Amino acid sequence: MGEIIIALIQGILLVLLAPLVSGVTRWFRAKMHTRKGPSIWQDYYDIAKLFKRQDVHSNQSSFISRLMPPLFMGTMIVLAMGMPMMTRLCPIPLLGDAILIIYMLALPRFFFALAGIDSGSSYAGIGSVRELVVGTLVEPSLMLALFVAALSCGTTNIGVMGQMVASGQCANPIAMSLAGIAFAAACYIELGKLPYDLAEAEQELQEGPLQEYSGPSLAMMHLAMPMKQIIVVSWLVAIFLPFGSAVDLSLTGLLFGALFFVLKVAVIFFICGIIENVVCRVRFKLTSRQTWFVLAIAVCAFAFCVLGI
Amino acid sequence: MFLTSVLLSTVGALVALLTGRSESTAKILGCSIGAFASLLALMSGLQALFGPVATFSSGTLFFDFSLRLDPLAGVLVSVISTLAFVAWVYGFSYFDDYKGKGIGAMCFFMNLFIASMDLVITSDNAFWFLVFFEMMSLTSYFLVVTDQDKASILGGFMYLVMAHIGFFMIMISFFIMAGITGSFDFSVFRAAKFDPGIASLIFMLAFLGFGFKAGMIPFHSWLPQAHPAAPSNVSALMSGGMIKIGIFGIIKVGFDLLGASGCQLWWGIVVMLFGAVSSVLGVMYALGEHDIKRLLAYHSVENIGIILMGVGVALIGWAIAQPVLTVIGLMAALYHLINHAMFKGLLFLGAGSVLYSTHTRNMELMGGLSKAMPTTAICFLIGSLAISAIPPLNGFVSEWFTYQGLITVAMTGDGIVKTVCAITAVALAITGALAVTCFVKAYGVTFLGAPRSDEARAAKEVPGPMKFAMVFLAVICIALGVCAPRIVPVLTSAAAATAGQAVAGTTAGIALVNPVIDSTISTPLLAVLLIAAVFVPWLIIKGKSKGGVKNTPDPWACGYNPTPDMPLQASSFAGTVHMFYGPLYQMRDNLVAKSPAFKTFFAGLSNWADKAQNWGDIALVNPTSKFVHWLSRVSSKLEGGDFRVYIVYVVIALVFFLVLAVTVR
Repeated sequence: MGEIIIALIQGILLVLLAPLVSGVTRWFRAKMHTRKGPSIWQDYYDIAKLFKRQDVHSNQSSFISRLMPPLFMGTMIVLAMGMPMMTRLCPIPLLGDAILIIYMLALPRFFFALAGIDSGSSYAGIGSVRELVVGTLVEPSLMLALFVAALSCGTTNIGVMGQMVASGQCANPIAMSLAGIAFAAACYIELGKLPYDLAEAEQELQEGPLQEYSGPSLAMMHLAMPMKQIIVVSWLVAIFLPFGSAVDLSLTGLLFGALFFVLKVAVIFFICGIIENVVCRVRFKLTSRQTWFVLAIAVCAFAFCVLGI
Repeated sequence: MFLTSVLLSTVGALVALLTGRSESTAKILGCSIGAFASLLALMSGLQALFGPVATFSSGTLFFDFSLRLDPLAGVLVSVISTLAFVAWVYGFSYFDDYKGKGIGAMCFFMNLFIASMDLVITSDNAFWFLVFFEMMSLTSYFLVVTDQDKASILGGFMYLVMAHIGFFMIMISFFIMAGITGSFDFSVFRAAKFDPGIASLIFMLAFLGFGFKAGMIPFHSWLPQAHPAAPSNVSALMSGGMIKIGIFGIIKVGFDLLGASGCQLWWGIVVMLFGAVSSVLGVMYALGEHDIKRLLAYHSVENIGIILMGVGVALIGWAIAQPVLTVIGLMAALYHLINHAMFKGLLFLGAGSVLYSTHTRNMELMGGLSKAMPTTAICFLIGSLAISAIPPLNGFVSEWFTYQGLITVAMTGDGIVKTVCAITAVALAITGALAVTCFVKAYGVTFLGAPRSDEARAAKEVPGPMKFAMVFLAVICIALGVCAPRIVPVLTSAAAATAGQAVAGTTAGIALVNPVIDSTISTPLLAVLLIAAVFVPWLIIKGKSKGGVKNTPDPWACGYNPTPDMPLQASSFAGTVHMFYGPLYQMRDNLVAKSPAFKTFFAGLSNWADKAQNWGDIALVNPTSKFVHWLSRVSSKLEGGDFRVYIVYVVIALVFFLVLAVTVR
């Protein structure tokens, strides 16, 4: 019962706190640029305002465009219910399989890209293709890193993986840490931040597949995009950095777990914030060089894993 | 019941042929008898899946004509009869498009095609197996060349040649077994214990031979030429059903016929690597296609690869004495076999509906069809999601079990097995991501955006029987995914029976379980949660928002008036993907700039690659087709149509037999 309550709380909190994460990111970027910048609550204001507006879609669009924002958000809520955030194990273990999570992330991507094409705008369509192709480039590294993690920990459940890592039981610690690096790099690309914000890279492609969105639909997407970022980061945290999370369901354990989780996520977003503000955008054509490099790290991790170190 | 169904199919075939004069009568009689026969076959297939092994045997002139319906055959018969039923229902309307091309003959061949597939699966004698295998190839050949245009005749010829090369390999493999055991009965093969070297030879010959039928790379080149040329419901049967007989053959020879001889580790590795290569290259080639049916045909190559991965897991599991892994791998393969039959059948029927209303297969000329054909669009979307392995649909369940098999085998195997499994898992991941890309392209370019041609603007929804057929398969796709905890145990017991192992506990309540490492997922739970998590926020927002929905403005086009050719087309996808997955070209270019030695080296390499790319064609297909040409040239000299030459032949033959008779005396 306690686990189900935690799962629900995680899902609801994810929706409520997502704009805060994107707001803080914007505020941090402004500070890096030595601008005054917006308040950290700005994204809440934006979303509230967008909800009041008319929902305008292009005349060529079909039900896909209308279905995509709630679907995107809903998938993220379901993922949040299975993700170990404040606890070490998954609140709902049936949702915590690593392979399931990879394929669950493909569901919103499918509709996200389809919605870009559905709008009938050529620029949104280009954004869609880029989104998909970057996905194909990242997927092998993610899978190989998870494969190494699964071999070292003897499971594909991310909660159990985290437990093994935290208690030092995983068979190949060096391979595991290298896999963690590869996984982190792949997750960073998946976040869609600079230098890899390719789906919306050029001026014409602003907002990528979301180009034709407006009003409540756009508001939902503004809510859902940071939700995805938090999910991806907590995925990394759950497997490779489980330290400090609650091992049981005692109140103090959960409080400390939540505190540590916020701290870890804050540090990761801080690092991401620094990276995204000091680099320039990668040329789309050359993205694959960097993703192959990430794959090479994962291959090294795998080699260490086979060697047993 | 099974025999009745086969007999009924034959009757249906003859009736369709006899009433061929009046095409609509032939269509109605052929289709309804065929549909009825396939329902009967479906019942017998399901019976075999749940019940005891049924056998039938009767002596004939040459060999015992014996049939055996075991659980493995039950799976295949059920899959093929479901597809056949749907294809017949679809045919009620779809065949109208083929008026004047001999609907009677089409119904004749299709009935025989389905009957021969059922008989191949159930034959328990090598001779009859080969006879029905050949009959299946021939009947499907006639269906491929229905259109009688250049493309279909070329594709059909290619198919015929490739099918026979495969056939010869299978034949040799069976003859080796028959030569050693002295019998053509599968029951004798099953009991015989072959020498490991001989067993390897038999397995490899059968694997390659059935690989031709299954369309795995590098023996795939007939598939994208033959499947699109056939009528769409026949394509669905071929792509969903017939190529599965290749997989069936591999499983049958590997686990059933060679069951007593054991298995070598390298068989599993070879099968797995063939699977990995087929899946990645299959989806890559699919991405480059603009012809919707060719795209789907290439996806069959990909899915055959995924099924082979499961078979590889099972073989490796058997070789390293891990019976649970054998069962998981085989179950994953069988599950994906069923899934692929269902969603590929659905997608081919969807493509057929598009073809029926627009009369083109070129995706560049479509667009915006989801408004004109909503049912087709929804069904095609469900098929696309299923084939992209999106949870909680059926493709995901079988791919999950394949991944679990790969990971668990890697845990227990040595370094080589680990490496092969990792390569395969990465290949499966790339395949998954590329399949998503490919089906966003297929669905998006065909059904979304604005119509790009007059045909697409004039498109109308298809008639009732075609809609029924598609909806039927779409519902099966959803059910196979969401109700997986009900279906997995049945397939697990079928897999266990085939491999002769104990049943592994692959489900627990609503959860699907990998019993070795206790990984669990649950598709019903996922479906419920997803529906709740999508609709609750949607309802809240719908209730709160006051602005309403507006659907009038044109999409933004940088200030220009949008035209239909502006949005994304099929080539936009192909180009972008080619840009990234031609890394070899990039590497070559970079190195060429630095050193002339590399330049010559790479020129040589690319020449070699050009040749090696289709070595299957060069080594096997070309000589055979040359031989056929040569034979026909020579034979045309022999019989020039001059009656005096024939008289000479007759005289020579008479003299020959006289001499023979005298000497034998």
